[in-house]
Amino acid sequence: MSPKTTAKAETTQNETTQNGEVVVASKNAFLLHLVCGLGLAVAFWFAHNIYAVNLVSDPAQTLYLIWVIECPFVIIPYSLFRWNPEKCSFLKAVVRGFLGLPAGALLNTFGAIVLGAPVGSQYMKRTINWSLLMSLFTVVPAASVFGSSWKDWQRLFAYSKPTGVLDYMICIPAHGAAIGAWFGAWPMPLDWERPWQEWPICVTYGAVGGYLAGIVVSLGFTVMYGGRQQHVKGD
Amino acid sequence: MTENGNHGGSSYEETDSLALFIGLKSKILTYTSATQNAASQVDMASTLALLFGVPIPKNNVGVLMPEVFGSLTDDQWLRALELNSWQLLRLLQAQLSGLSQQSFPCNDSSYEQSSEFTKCVGQVEQKFCHFFSKATVLHSSWKSKKGQTIRSINGDDFRNAVKAYDEFLRIASEWLSRRATDKPLNLLTSGVAAMFGSSMIMLRLLFLLCKQVFFAEKQYLPNVNKYTYNWDLDELFVLGAILIVVLGMGSSSMVEEEQYIWHFMTSTLYLIFLRRTIQSVPAGPAPFILNVFNGKNCSNYSRASSVILVLICGRILRGWHQGGVNWTHLPDISKWLEQAGSHSIKSIQIASILAIISLWSFLLYSLRSKRGFILVVQAMFLISGLLVLLHTMEYQDHMFAASGYNNTSIAQIVYASLGVTVIVTAVASPWVMYYSISKTRSNGKPCLMNYFSIANGIGSPLIELIYSSYLTGLAYTASWCLLQLLLQQPINALPILLIFLQTLSSLVYFSTGGIQHKLWVEVAALYFLGMAGHFGLGNSNTLATIDVAGAFIGLSSHSTLFAGILMFMITFASPLLLLLSMVMHTSMKDMRNLSVSQDADMGHLLLSTIAFPSLVPLSLNSILLTTFTVVLLLMRNHLFVWSVFSPKYLYVCATTASVYAGVTAVAATGIYKCLVFALLMRNSNGSIRNPR
Repeated sequence: MSPKTTAKAETTQNETTQNGEVVVASKNAFLLHLVCGLGLAVAFWFAHNIYAVNLVSDPAQTLYLIWVIECPFVIIPYSLFRWNPEKCSFLKAVVRGFLGLPAGALLNTFGAIVLGAPVGSQYMKRTINWSLLMSLFTVVPAASVFGSSWKDWQRLFAYSKPTGVLDYMICIPAHGAAIGAWFGAWPMPLDWERPWQEWPICVTYGAVGGYLAGIVVSLGFTVMYGGRQQHVKGD
Repeated sequence: MTENGNHGGSSYEETDSLALFIGLKSKILTYTSATQNAASQVDMASTLALLFGVPIPKNNVGVLMPEVFGSLTDDQWLRALELNSWQLLRLLQAQLSGLSQQSFPCNDSSYEQSSEFTKCVGQVEQKFCHFFSKATVLHSSWKSKKGQTIRSINGDDFRNAVKAYDEFLRIASEWLSRRATDKPLNLLTSGVAAMFGSSMIMLRLLFLLCKQVFFAEKQYLPNVNKYTYNWDLDELFVLGAILIVVLGMGSSSMVEEEQYIWHFMTSTLYLIFLRRTIQSVPAGPAPFILNVFNGKNCSNYSRASSVILVLICGRILRGWHQGGVNWTHLPDISKWLEQAGSHSIKSIQIASILAIISLWSFLLYSLRSKRGFILVVQAMFLISGLLVLLHTMEYQDHMFAASGYNNTSIAQIVYASLGVTVIVTAVASPWVMYYSISKTRSNGKPCLMNYFSIANGIGSPLIELIYSSYLTGLAYTASWCLLQLLLQQPINALPILLIFLQTLSSLVYFSTGGIQHKLWVEVAALYFLGMAGHFGLGNSNTLATIDVAGAFIGLSSHSTLFAGILMFMITFASPLLLLLSMVMHTSMKDMRNLSVSQDADMGHLLLSTIAFPSLVPLSLNSILLTTFTVVLLLMRNHLFVWSVFSPKYLYVCATTASVYAGVTAVAATGIYKCLVFALLMRNSNGSIRNPR
């Protein structure tokens, strides 16, 4: 294996099958999710303490800070787990991830507007920043790992049938973020007159909550599935 | 006010208040009797009226508060009690027919009233008669002894009279206030039970039908578990959406802003359909963009693009009218158009009319049949469309002068022509299609016309029947659209076009081949589109958004019945449009099924033409009706029961009526078609058995 793939892990617990695809060990999955969660926490702390904004007071600026800071915490670890480490270098995976960011933002903007997000010049900055953040949760991991392999995208997102630990790591937090954002939209038409009922504040809270819940569920699946795999290898 | 700051509800903290009376001289002797009295708030009206010396309000159900009248003499005190009793007795006579209608002498002279109350019938009335007559007798005896100087007997008489009056007043007041709030529990329980029972029957029927269809289809597929029902994501979502709508009925803000809920649910359902479409896009080695003109990818693209068109139209509809109650001041497209001026509105209206006319002309033309009947139908539609265009161009909506006799007569001609077209098409098309020789060659564009490219050689009457059904459905839908373009406000012309586009795209999506959805999910999706479109036309759950002016278009004299019917048609334009389009939906699906498997199954035809399009909207509506009735009963003490929940109940009942009307039209058409089909099959079999 190329030296770059061993940069992050202390021991080479990632093994390759005959096709050159990566089989992920549970410890690495745990580390990856820890890094992603840590990045999110760092981003919120940064926004709150250094820039003194939060989602309610200045949603556009806060969302911008969050996705900018979280970006390397997501792209770099997922690029290390890219599907074909033989054929595709680390740098190419990172570039794929960066390309996936605006593409996913377009998809998420379409989805949000179709579901009722307000359209107008005063909402544009917020919508763009929100969709970049959602793209970071949903599309960028798959873009870094799989690139443009349509078969894998279809398996993960159209059929939602993840088959390995790597698939769980990508698919479940993405679905969690999307479903969390869907549920987060429910307080918006209520007449409680709270400032956090504006677009996209409660939707962001829902998305982040769903993402974290997806991480936990994915770790649970990893423990179950990864334990089974290690047990098989031990024979 | 409660501790949270709520006020206006009916809890104790919110309804408790203080009454303070200050007087010059009073006979109140102790501190406690002056401060620890409790009285009902209804008693205020009679007390204040008597203190001021004005008549007690006619509908008052309260009794005067004795502690306030300490400064009155005995005579005045008994007079006050007498006045209050008369007022309550008049109110009782209005409520109870058993109490005889007596007019009272209003002076003090004659007191022979005890004999006049022997005509009271009924137990309750007898009780009131007895108490009132006792009080008046005691009062009259006190008055007759007033001149005498024996003070002790006077005092006793006085106290007896007061006590008798108090008794009567108390029971009358109690009975009257209870009367205002008592509900006929038996009627209510039986009504709710009947609604619940009917909705359970319909749901059970629907579930059995779905299972039957599912297992019948699975018989043809090998290697599949044939005994468990597979739930797809879209089915689960439709059930979840109904649950959410039902739960949202209990919240007043969800009822006020119901347009958000329907739009959200419909868009999510169509996004799930889009995801289903993406499932069938094949993975090729080359980027799939290059395969766009390949035949087998074409149906995928037509499916995906029709779903995206539905989503975009739905979002534009959502932005057209802000709707609701809390955020009506926010900008929306209709306000922006009104600022731009009436010229732009009128040009958009004319453009929408032309677009709709050209759309269904294209659809009629795509039948590719040279039969004269279809040309006649097309010509009649064109005439109606041109008349609607003429009416639009002559309609002056900001002038106070009458827009003229011409407009009314044009509108009446439009009504007549649309009605004749629809009836002629519905009644005559199966016969005409069957008896003329079919030389249909449909080779339209492969992408969009898949459902019409049926191989030659199927000469069964079934295909003619399906064509006639399609023609009838198109006639219903197109004439309903034209009618709405005539009746709705000018600002709503483009939303009608958008709803029509959504309907057509959904029908195209459901009938192109590939992964199929269950039939009840498709009918439910059309029903959701109808409800979302209803709010997109500017309706809300308050009575202020009903368009009353449009209800008088084409009426030359005031007629409550016709104006009511037109108002109903204007308000429920969108649900009825989607219900009528189910005739087209079933015909397009039958065409697809027939081109795939070429056997004509009468049972399947009945199911898809009559059973599912009727049962699914009926079941959905019955769930909503039953739930909202229960919610209304539970919320009867809510602060917003009159401003939010009661108007919504009116709308729910009217929606039920619209669903019944639409389902009746669809079912009647289906039954007529099947009867004609059966008759023609028997005739053709008979003629085969008896060759000439």
